[in-house]
Amino acid sequence: MVLEQDILPYLQWFLGDAETLGALPRFLLVALGIAILGLLIGYLIAAVRYGVLSGGDMTYRTVSAGFRELFEMSPRRIWALAKLAIKEAWRRRVWVAFVVFVIILMFAGWFLKTDHQDPAKLYISFVLTATTYLVLGIALLLSAFSLPGDFKTKTIYTIVTKPVRSGEIILGRILGFTLLGTVLLATMAVCSYVFVTRSLNHSHVVEVSSVKPLPGDEGGYEGRTSREAYHRHFVETDDGKYGEALSNHGHFHPVAPRGDDLSVGAAENFIRARVPRWGTLKYLDRQGVEKERGISVGSEWTYRSFIEGRSQAAAIWTFEDIEPPPFIDDPEISDDQKGLPIGLIVRVFRTHKGIIGRPIGGTIQVKNPDSELRSQVDYFGALDAKVDEQSIPRKLTSLEGEEIDLYEDLVSDGRLQIIIQCQESGQYFGFAKPDCYIRLPDGSPVLNFVKVYLSIWVQMVIVIAVGVSASALLSGPVAMLLTVSFILLGFFREFFVGVATGAEYGGGPVESLVRMVTQQNVMSPLKAGGGEPIVKGIDWVLQRIMLSIAQVLPDFSAFSTVNFAAYGYDVPAERVFQDLTTCLAYIVGLAVVGYFFLRTREVAR
Amino acid sequence: MSQETVVQTRSLSKVYRDFWGRQKVRALKALDLEVYKGEVFGLLGPNGSGKTTTIKLLLGLLFPTSGEALIFGKNSTDVAKNERLGYLPEESYLYRFLNAEETLDFYARLFDMPPETRQERVDSLIKQVGLDRARKRQLQEYSKGMTRRIGLAQALINNPELILLDEPTSGLDPIGTREMKDMILRLKADGKTVIMCSHLLADVQDVCDRIAILHQGELKELGRVDELLTVADVTQIRAKSLSEDCKNELREVISRHNGEVLEMDNPTTTLEELFLSIVRDSEARPGRRAPSPSETTPEPANDG
Repeated sequence: MVLEQDILPYLQWFLGDAETLGALPRFLLVALGIAILGLLIGYLIAAVRYGVLSGGDMTYRTVSAGFRELFEMSPRRIWALAKLAIKEAWRRRVWVAFVVFVIILMFAGWFLKTDHQDPAKLYISFVLTATTYLVLGIALLLSAFSLPGDFKTKTIYTIVTKPVRSGEIILGRILGFTLLGTVLLATMAVCSYVFVTRSLNHSHVVEVSSVKPLPGDEGGYEGRTSREAYHRHFVETDDGKYGEALSNHGHFHPVAPRGDDLSVGAAENFIRARVPRWGTLKYLDRQGVEKERGISVGSEWTYRSFIEGRSQAAAIWTFEDIEPPPFIDDPEISDDQKGLPIGLIVRVFRTHKGIIGRPIGGTIQVKNPDSELRSQVDYFGALDAKVDEQSIPRKLTSLEGEEIDLYEDLVSDGRLQIIIQCQESGQYFGFAKPDCYIRLPDGSPVLNFVKVYLSIWVQMVIVIAVGVSASALLSGPVAMLLTVSFILLGFFREFFVGVATGAEYGGGPVESLVRMVTQQNVMSPLKAGGGEPIVKGIDWVLQRIMLSIAQVLPDFSAFSTVNFAAYGYDVPAERVFQDLTTCLAYIVGLAVVGYFFLRTREVAR
Repeated sequence: MSQETVVQTRSLSKVYRDFWGRQKVRALKALDLEVYKGEVFGLLGPNGSGKTTTIKLLLGLLFPTSGEALIFGKNSTDVAKNERLGYLPEESYLYRFLNAEETLDFYARLFDMPPETRQERVDSLIKQVGLDRARKRQLQEYSKGMTRRIGLAQALINNPELILLDEPTSGLDPIGTREMKDMILRLKADGKTVIMCSHLLADVQDVCDRIAILHQGELKELGRVDELLTVADVTQIRAKSLSEDCKNELREVISRHNGEVLEMDNPTTTLEELFLSIVRDSEARPGRRAPSPSETTPEPANDG
């Protein structure tokens, strides 16, 4: 799973620290900036229309009324307006979105193939993405056209001539559409979950002819299942014929005796919520010199960097807060179970194809970060992008051949290092920090599903807040266009910021346009027939404006936690609370903006 | 009549501009008005004279270009004034997917009314405007008259002290018009202040105490209706059961005092009165043809 940004602890994220500006100070700074800008623009418009003094008086009265009305808001009025918004949305057949969703699910099975290596990922990713786009589309249409509809039919006359504060109208709409969207989303969530679990559910039978005793003296049986849903499993059982159909296609089946035969139960572990604990990553280059990053294999995406095979190059993770399991002293539990469970994802980059399908060899080694004590290497085979779950045994052997204890000898102050190397010449392993982690006990898949839907909900609420606030000033279609722009820029925020800061190749917007029209590539210096300073100058202004806009753009791609569920990882609670806080900040900010839009608008124009 | 001022405008002006700020039309020019508590005040004028603009400025739906409008001493843009105010727009701009009960309940909630008061008020108003049997029907099924009635009910939901009615009788049939006028007079009797604008002169004359006549955004006349309409050098005598001899004697007396008899004949009723009389009779005796006008003895118009 890809995690491009670290998930900070909530308080550090909220308040910030010496190096980073926290969410709260950032919100206050942006709010102050917008307030000053709004005051300035408001005064200028009023001054042009009504004169310098009257304009000032009007601006003062508007702002002071805004503060006063903040304390005069009534929950009963907000609720009445919210209920009205719900009824209105229902009348506008919002339920059609649900019908469309159900139709999509009905026919999705035709196109989603279960021969995929990890079908759960495909199914979950599909339903969550479909839900996200449908819900955002509905949120957009409802919010952008609601208030303009009231202006068009003039029903707003009978609202604003009651003691209704403009803020109540904005909040009532946001609340109403949010409640309706929540019900819609919850229904979609239930349908999605049922769809995924039922679509992926299947069973096998054990092929009787394949069952034979396990080699060795330990007893038990092995065999294989029938081929169903494009795959089969190898089966291993104990003497009593209890065991499992081993993991394949991202799941396993329990196996139990049935008379003389073996019966295979329903698929398990299709939907998982792995809880990883991430560490920090550093690299050694081919000479064994410590580096911040590995080498580039030419991929433009710099998320991962690579280590070369058959060299001293290594990826070294340092984990903290490692503790022995609570049952460490329980004599009835074997040392194998007292090991340290880890997860490892390796991106394999081949410079020669080798044998297709055969894993590339690698080693794993455990090291005490404070001493030079390290375990002997353990070999593993790496398949590209596969989640390899293994356990570092409690009892290991040192390089000197002595038995060492994982927790007593290799863990120092709760810290432990894991070293991964590639063992094949001409092949490379690619890693990013989240690619190796300590596996904590899995979370609840259902709860994880809820958390992912919560992140979709956050996006929906932000779209509603943007749409309602924009529609307080603009006509329906224009408000919709503005909201769509907001969403699109939000999804491509990183690129937008890259253009604004000049980090992207090809310069600012005008320079890019000139390059496109004159067919110049993005690397060579701009040639504009002597007009380069003008182009750069305009770009400088535009980039400052873009940077300002970027401060209020929600990062929709970062809100999405679809990948967490699709790849079977638990969405961290920190992340959920951060998203909810961000959502609240947008509601507050946009409600205030919407209030002033509506307050300063002549309703009867 | 108390002289407590409820509404006051000072040099109230409104200029409509286009997107670029260029003047399109000067809708209202320096209007100075005072409306007192308990009176029915009429704004009269042809289409485009500035009546509706004045109402919208008073309500805060429009912002004045210059001057100011005060309602209960507060600026017209102050939302708090709406607590004591009711407004019936020219068309009843209501949510057509709600029924009468839901509509009134919704507007009552906007006044932050507690549930018991709200329920009581909604019931009472639905009965008052005669929509008891249609209380569960969606407004989109209502006739024009019913829509006006529910519109009036929403304007009265907060038992307002000041009611602004924009063309209250527009689109109503004669019965609806009469009911609306009766309602206005009842409101007046209850001590409410009513401001109405209309271009239907007869309606204004029937119910208003004072009127302002606007033309092209300017105030042309302001005063009491009875004073404005009185013809000072003409005397009207109304009597019943006079014989021809008596009428001749009256003519002689007038002539002897150098007066001039302009008209002495039997008065006619108004078409409105005739129509209402026929409908009332039809309701009382369904299935029978209404008596001819000569058989009826409707009350004469202008009977004071």
